Amino acid sequence: MTSVNTSSPRSRRSVKLLGLLGLALISSACASGTPLDTLEPDGAAARTIQDLVGPVFLIAGVVFVLVEVGVVLIAWKFRARDTDDDDTLPAQVHGNNRLEIGWTILPAVILAFVAVFTLVTIFELEERDDDAIAIGVEGQQWWWRFTYDIDGDGETDITTASEMVIPAGTQVDLSLTSNDVIHSFWIPRLNGKRDVVPGRSNTLSLESDEPGYFFGQCTEFCGLSHAEMRMRVIALPQDEYDAWVEEQMTDGPTPQTAAQARGQEAFSGLCASCHSIRGLENQPGTGENPIPLVSGVAPDLTHFASRRVYAGGLFELYDGEGNVNRGQLEAWLRNPAAEKAMAPDDERGMPNLGLTENQIDDLVEYLLSTADGPVWTGPRND
Amino acid sequence: MAETTLAASAGYDTEHHTGEHATATGISNTKLGMWVFLGSECMLFGGLISTYLLYKDRVPEGGISPRDIYDIYFTSASSFVLLMSSLTMVLALAAVQRADYSRLKLWLFTTALLGSTFIAGQIYEFTAFTREGLGFTTNIFGSAFYTLTGFHGVHVTIGIVMLLSVLILAIRGKITVEKAETVEIVGLYWHFVDIVWILIFTIIYLIP
Amino acid sequence: MAITEERPLALPSGDPARPSEPHLGVFRRPTTTTGWRSWLTTVDHKKIGIMYGASALFFLVVGGVEALLIRLQLAAPNGTLLSADTYNQVFTMHGTTMIFLVVMPIGAAFANYLIPLQIGARDVAFPRINAFSFWCLLGGGILLNSSWFLGGAPDGGWFNYAPNSGVVFSPSHGIDFWNMGLIITGISSLSGAVNLITTVINMRAPGMTLMKVPVFTWMALVTQFLLLFAIPVLTVAQVLLAMDRLYDANFFNVSAGADPLLWQHLFWIFGHPEVYLMIMPAFGIVSETVPVFSRKPIFGYPFMVFSGIAIGFMGFGVWAHHMFASGIGPLSVAAFSLSTMFIAVPTGVKILNWIATMWGGRLTFNTPMLFSVGLITMFTIGGLSGVTHAVAPADTQQTDTYYIVAHFHYVLFGGAFFGFMSGFYFWWPKAFGYKLGEGLGKFNFWTMLLGFNLTFGPMHILGLQGMSRRVYTYDENYGFDFWNLVATIGAFIIALSVLSFIINIFVSKKRAASLPPVGPDPWDARGLEWMIQSPAPEHNFDQTPTVAHLDEFWHRKYAEGDDGRVRRVATGDEVAQPGDGTGVHLPSPSYWPMVAAFSLPLIGWGLIFNLYLAIFGGVLLVVALWGWAIEPPDDIDGVHHDHHDADPSGDVEATGDIEATGDASADAGKADVTAEAATDAAAVPEEAPVG
Repeated sequence: MTSVNTSSPRSRRSVKLLGLLGLALISSACASGTPLDTLEPDGAAARTIQDLVGPVFLIAGVVFVLVEVGVVLIAWKFRARDTDDDDTLPAQVHGNNRLEIGWTILPAVILAFVAVFTLVTIFELEERDDDAIAIGVEGQQWWWRFTYDIDGDGETDITTASEMVIPAGTQVDLSLTSNDVIHSFWIPRLNGKRDVVPGRSNTLSLESDEPGYFFGQCTEFCGLSHAEMRMRVIALPQDEYDAWVEEQMTDGPTPQTAAQARGQEAFSGLCASCHSIRGLENQPGTGENPIPLVSGVAPDLTHFASRRVYAGGLFELYDGEGNVNRGQLEAWLRNPAAEKAMAPDDERGMPNLGLTENQIDDLVEYLLSTADGPVWTGPRND
Repeated sequence: MAETTLAASAGYDTEHHTGEHATATGISNTKLGMWVFLGSECMLFGGLISTYLLYKDRVPEGGISPRDIYDIYFTSASSFVLLMSSLTMVLALAAVQRADYSRLKLWLFTTALLGSTFIAGQIYEFTAFTREGLGFTTNIFGSAFYTLTGFHGVHVTIGIVMLLSVLILAIRGKITVEKAETVEIVGLYWHFVDIVWILIFTIIYLIP
Repeated sequence: MAITEERPLALPSGDPARPSEPHLGVFRRPTTTTGWRSWLTTVDHKKIGIMYGASALFFLVVGGVEALLIRLQLAAPNGTLLSADTYNQVFTMHGTTMIFLVVMPIGAAFANYLIPLQIGARDVAFPRINAFSFWCLLGGGILLNSSWFLGGAPDGGWFNYAPNSGVVFSPSHGIDFWNMGLIITGISSLSGAVNLITTVINMRAPGMTLMKVPVFTWMALVTQFLLLFAIPVLTVAQVLLAMDRLYDANFFNVSAGADPLLWQHLFWIFGHPEVYLMIMPAFGIVSETVPVFSRKPIFGYPFMVFSGIAIGFMGFGVWAHHMFASGIGPLSVAAFSLSTMFIAVPTGVKILNWIATMWGGRLTFNTPMLFSVGLITMFTIGGLSGVTHAVAPADTQQTDTYYIVAHFHYVLFGGAFFGFMSGFYFWWPKAFGYKLGEGLGKFNFWTMLLGFNLTFGPMHILGLQGMSRRVYTYDENYGFDFWNLVATIGAFIIALSVLSFIINIFVSKKRAASLPPVGPDPWDARGLEWMIQSPAPEHNFDQTPTVAHLDEFWHRKYAEGDDGRVRRVATGDEVAQPGDGTGVHLPSPSYWPMVAAFSLPLIGWGLIFNLYLAIFGGVLLVVALWGWAIEPPDDIDGVHHDHHDADPSGDVEATGDIEATGDASADAGKADVTAEAATDAAAVPEEAPVG
């Protein structure tokens, strides 16, 4: 697919807004190469937040400087001197009501000012466009599942894992829930975070100004591998998005080589008790046995090779040149729990299936045949 | 509920130690301590009652829910018994304050007896519910119901122990007019437990 | 419960002829007041306060080592020092230890030690319950930390959100230890709160109206009220969780219809007042030290008091700001965003009032003052970053990132802990009779300030760069490397600083042997606690002082001259009481608080592992309570014959005029009380006002 230049212009504003600390200025100097940066919005919601945060940081920064400098100056000006007479005291001031009422009211007024804008923003962020695209987000230990209902019939048409593909310039209306514990969905450059809570459905909107590749991280502590529960959002131009949808709607691959055929057989026998590839006869959760996982769901791998990342966003399937990182994938299949902290014995995470090296080779061949290449080949924006 | 017993019993050394001296408020330490402690108990029951309110209607389809199981007449009767025990508690305090020690013993005994009747009723209710299929782990309503009423039952039981202790002291002639405050403090706790029950009874049984 | 006549005489301090008639209880009350045994049975609020402090320092080292492990793991990307599992246990225990076993107990240490001294009382209202509170804390702490050796520590974070804290997702016993341990420390806090609230309300010296109570005692009182109302809510949450984990209840079982947000609401209704009750004692400490080292009274005492009360009240109305990302709906978010912003107002008042206290003063920068100014400046940063996430939309970017970690460390370390360090240096001579060395003290302060800012300053940047909390690793291309390394270096500087404090304790003690005694009033201070000798005598005050002013002790030393200038009229040594406790009656030590408290962890372990152990613990508890109840209480009637009517020191009488004024200005109700006290004085003269 075409690559799109996504390096959004560094906002002048962001530099201005970093008034919190002198230190924060250094932060903006070092801000390149921080894919999760909260102060470099690339979408409408994140920018709305940024516009609110900026003045607040500025006010906080001014108060900070006044207080700190004030304390230091006072400490110097009124320091005890050797010439002081120890038996007489400085003027004994017990207070000043007018002054104190003043500095009770003044911060309250400033805060009331901030509060008005805060309230407006809170409700503004809840607004949804009429033409927003709905995407379902499900969190589970320790990966994200995304479902698309393209034709609006209430049935899921596309299921992906770890990578959410959206059209750029269009609002996406997420409906979030969890299949086990609480997680939190966060793409810092596009919007603030929203928890995914089992038994509840929360909402969040995302919109990317331009096509781009955005990093995300689960931010609610969710157990063993919380640190390694990551995700990406890929914003594509509308036409590429449409093409992606069309590709994803198709069934999984038909084996072209003997290795792929063996791989498909191994997949059906070993992997399909949890993982789905559309078009295969064996599908998880059918027949006698439920999926042996607490969350009851494992990543759909129908178009696995179209994704840049796997294993909950932990590993890159492709390197910068678009070549497959085959060794990592093989290691993952060989013993998943050695590559990522999981608890397969408690049915939380991928177990070691004891695959032979031949099976691993065949499975890799088969999995890589699920797509021609990654959906995103542009810069990774980190 | 160790703290309950402690607050009640431990007061009794300091009651002599400092309570007989003037305090800044004029209320003895022990009595003030009991009031403060009961303030904390409000939050304890507040949390439990809130949990119950949140969960009572969240039983999945087909499960045993409050409507299926409550025997409002039986529980009303046992609630009435507990309410009456507050009355006898008041009578006990009045008796000791006018140095009528035989009445003190009578009313203390009656209060403890009424409290025990209430607990017996609760035990009966629990076993009846269990027989009807609502166990502690059956569903979310069961967990919330038994935890809330069980916590209250434990409080009543501790109150009965306190009443019996005072009764024994009274029989041995240790409770005199000067020590009327001991009865008053136990009474404070007892009335509190009763009031909490009125709340629980209203919230659990009366409000549909 | 009237068995007075059969009671043996309790041990009067300084009275060698201890009566030895038969006891009603099974055991005699212990009588030791010196040696290590005396610490086990003591009911002396000062010894108990010191034990709170010592155990907190021990747990500070434990929690500090955990912090260093965290920092080592995160010093570079893809750290491998700790596994994910171990890291989760370590950060959970770091938070839990620092909050429940370090900061809260240090607050309790100061409250225990100082409240009776500041209000002119002999002890707290319920001395044995006081001992019980301490032993509960220690027992709970031991139970909690025993998890390291008994199958793994809790791994759900200090906040233990359901359902991740359920047995399905955390199958080890760790979280059971967390439940049991903190229920027990909760009993400790609760019984302590009842005790100290009663003490402050009831046992103030004659003339000390509420608006003459020292600010530290006020803030400690607010703290105790916060504990009183917040702790039971945590206990409820933990009982529900324990029921789920141990007895298959359904409180957090989502498939049975449970709502995971119930835990969050219960936890934060406790959790936010918790934050304020950790900082309040430090606010109180600074309000004591800044006036002393500025040589001016606290600026705006009523504002300081009422802002503290306001923070206490508002602290119960802001809990859901921890849940801005939980999906509680825009209306709730808006409401809690508002309330959170406005809690900044009374906090700001405090900071400005401290600064105003310094204004126009004569500032000496001893170590306690340095730490106090450290609190003012560092807490300001934490307060301001707090306002930035009161802005709910901003919080959705900041919450659960290192920005929050930076914020609450600026509040709890830069705020509470700096305040505690100030308090240690300030009251150390009162408690131990020697000053901590200034040289090491200043080293202690400057390294702590440096290390603290190096550790937690960069975390603001890391958080804004998007680094999540509670991650055991991060990728090398996230751009987090540099500041994490800086933070790790800072953490070791903090460790060095804490080490210098501990060294200072021993070095200064050794050096003090060759120095003259510090005397009752080494800082030219203001409160009643400085009116007694150092170290504080066991009986506190020889005679209960009558109070006419806020800063009563200072008013006995200074007076306004004809020219309107305030001059010294007496030295602290002259005004202070000589420390003669002859005839003073003190509550006797007791075994039972410790026995009762240590039965609780047995019940805890028993519920986790073996019900028989729990039953044994329960029986032990009943026995302990029974022993406690029938233990021959102290007696006051028999010992008061020899008394310091012939007290040679006449200094106290010198202030008779002031006392008279105080009595006159007291309201009618107070006058009654004073009159009663005066009547009592006939029988118990040493507690009566002089005059």
